[in-house]
Amino acid sequence: MTEVARGTAGSAKQAGAVSRKELGAAAILVALAVLGFALSSELPRGTLRSVGAGMLPQALSILLGLCAIPILVGARRGAGGSEELTFSLRGPILVLSATALFALTIKSSHFDGWSTPELGLVVAGPLAIIVGGHASPEVQLRPLVTLALFLTPFSLVLFGDLLNLPIPIMPRYVQEVLLAGWSYRGALRLAAVLMVGAGLLVLFTGRRASAKAPTATKGG
Amino acid sequence: MFDLIGNLGLGLAVAFSLKNLVLCLTGCLVGTLVGILPGVGPIATISMLLPITFGLDPVGALIMLAGIYYGAQYGGSTTAILVNIPGEATAVVTTLDGHQMARRGRAGVALGIAAIGSFIAGTFATLLIAALAKPLTSLALVFGPAEYFSLMVMGLVFAVVLAHGSIIKAIAMILFGILLSTVGIDLETGEARMTLGMEFLADGIDFAVLAMGVFGVAEILRNLDNVETRDVVKQAIGRLLPGRAEMRQSAAPIARGTIIGSILGILPGNGAVLGPFAAYTLEKKIAKDPSRFGKGAIEGVAGPESANNAGAQTSFIPLLTLGIPPNAVMALMVGAMTIHGIVPGPLVMTNSPDLFWGMIASMWIGNLMLLIINLPMIGLWVKLLKVPYHLMFPAILMFCSIGIFSINSEPVQVLLIGLFGFAGYLLAKFGFEPAPMLLGFVLGRLMEENFRRALLVSRGDMATFIESPISAGLLAIAAIMLVVVLLPSFRRGREDVFAE
Repeated sequence: MTEVARGTAGSAKQAGAVSRKELGAAAILVALAVLGFALSSELPRGTLRSVGAGMLPQALSILLGLCAIPILVGARRGAGGSEELTFSLRGPILVLSATALFALTIKSSHFDGWSTPELGLVVAGPLAIIVGGHASPEVQLRPLVTLALFLTPFSLVLFGDLLNLPIPIMPRYVQEVLLAGWSYRGALRLAAVLMVGAGLLVLFTGRRASAKAPTATKGG
Repeated sequence: MFDLIGNLGLGLAVAFSLKNLVLCLTGCLVGTLVGILPGVGPIATISMLLPITFGLDPVGALIMLAGIYYGAQYGGSTTAILVNIPGEATAVVTTLDGHQMARRGRAGVALGIAAIGSFIAGTFATLLIAALAKPLTSLALVFGPAEYFSLMVMGLVFAVVLAHGSIIKAIAMILFGILLSTVGIDLETGEARMTLGMEFLADGIDFAVLAMGVFGVAEILRNLDNVETRDVVKQAIGRLLPGRAEMRQSAAPIARGTIIGSILGILPGNGAVLGPFAAYTLEKKIAKDPSRFGKGAIEGVAGPESANNAGAQTSFIPLLTLGIPPNAVMALMVGAMTIHGIVPGPLVMTNSPDLFWGMIASMWIGNLMLLIINLPMIGLWVKLLKVPYHLMFPAILMFCSIGIFSINSEPVQVLLIGLFGFAGYLLAKFGFEPAPMLLGFVLGRLMEENFRRALLVSRGDMATFIESPISAGLLAIAAIMLVVVLLPSFRRGREDVFAE
């Protein structure tokens, strides 16, 4: 995707007045068509009597590429208007990081030669909220931490306890060593209670801090 | 006729069990909530909640999911009226006159007429589904692979016609959606297609993952780009029940909106979105004094609000009778049904009548509940609107992650919703709408299957698609629509409708 975006910027410089948005749109379609065709080119096309696995993907890729032509023609005529293309990287990078961190910490994943530790929802949930929350320019750390400390136990109880879905709760080490004699539900409830307690503490100290100095609302 | 009453009786008996009533209420409450909050839609919510339905029986699961969908139509109008931001795409036109009514101190009446109109439309749509179910189901039984293929082609053409913005881009997105649906093991030959050798792609791309990516995560990214200012109406909401004169004024628009919405809802391609536009345009055209519109005309709220609710409900018809999901929400319903081992289509009605009629009856009960949820509890919903977005989206993000993870306990899928979200955000930047892509993806696999089967039956003769009169007729309608929509004069008219 990033290559597509760069290609757009390059061609727009030469084209001058032609809408960058429309050129970019056409470039994306061509890129998708090439990708689709390349990935399915090995597959047998078959005949109409017995359609092969490759017939539809290849035909679709070609049609997709053809769609770029009318868009390009339209771009020359000035379709798409002078609407500016603005990209902010902050949102996408932080939101993508949040989902990636969640994926890497919730459960251990095994790759060639290495694997990620299983840290469970008590780590993955707050990570997603706090990292993802920074995508907004209006971010404040303390409300995000409070939110994380209340929503995570809520989700633990809802998904793990009430709905019986197998969600890793906490780091495997903690659960196996420190809470050795505990059942899954017991450990889950303990974790939830501890988090809500911490949440109340943050909320309470936050109130007191802001009561002392009304201007200092930005916590953390 | 007696059949119909008997069947609805069976349905009511199923829907009135305590558990199903609670589930229906839960669905309606969640639906209202996501409808009210701008930036969270029914598509992302239902994909988030799919794992929750694992533990329920199929009837209860579908009753709850359906409640979320039509509940969101009610909730969307509340935000449109009070904040001038559509809570849902289907409530866009309600902002025009609904918010103006609120500014003039008639917020309560606007909310009231929206809820009453929606309820009447919902009741009518429920009866329509019940009445059309039998005949359409018998129609489905004479459909062969060629007819199914042509029907879906027609559906996709409708989706192009009804899509916002550039026609060619909508076509491209549909093609891309179908292309995405071919990823995975080919069911007939067992060959892996476009999987890049990755194991998790062997079963194809999970629909919930794609939907949550392009509708949940991408929506967050888009919202972060525009700094939103919420201007909740400061005036008192005022009395909720419309007076007699206001009811008389709205009666005809509600009836017209209901009919337009019901018809457009049945058509594949998200008719629930177009319904309110069409209803508003019609009301403005036939009004004695069109200049009142945009300044708080009650007809401009009553018509569109009835239309969107009717459309949301009649869009269940193609799914329940033909097994073809006409929009993304219905595709998620297919997912929910498949999880419970039910194949959507004409056989649902004969094989599990309690599910079929129970769900239909629950829609009417749900509409009644929504009337109650929405009117007296309005103060609570207004408070919710004051939660700032910068605290809301991290919560949505975490719920999306947990929801998608718990479907298969597969961390890769959490990564994928992020990636699809980013891809959807980029595509939207270049003017590509995600809705047609999702519809193409949904119908893609069914289309390919029927296409190949039809050719197998006809021994490779393409003429099979025009030899059957039904198939030929459907393809002809599709071709005519496509030509008409590409005509310059129609194109301008279409742009006008969407510009309003």
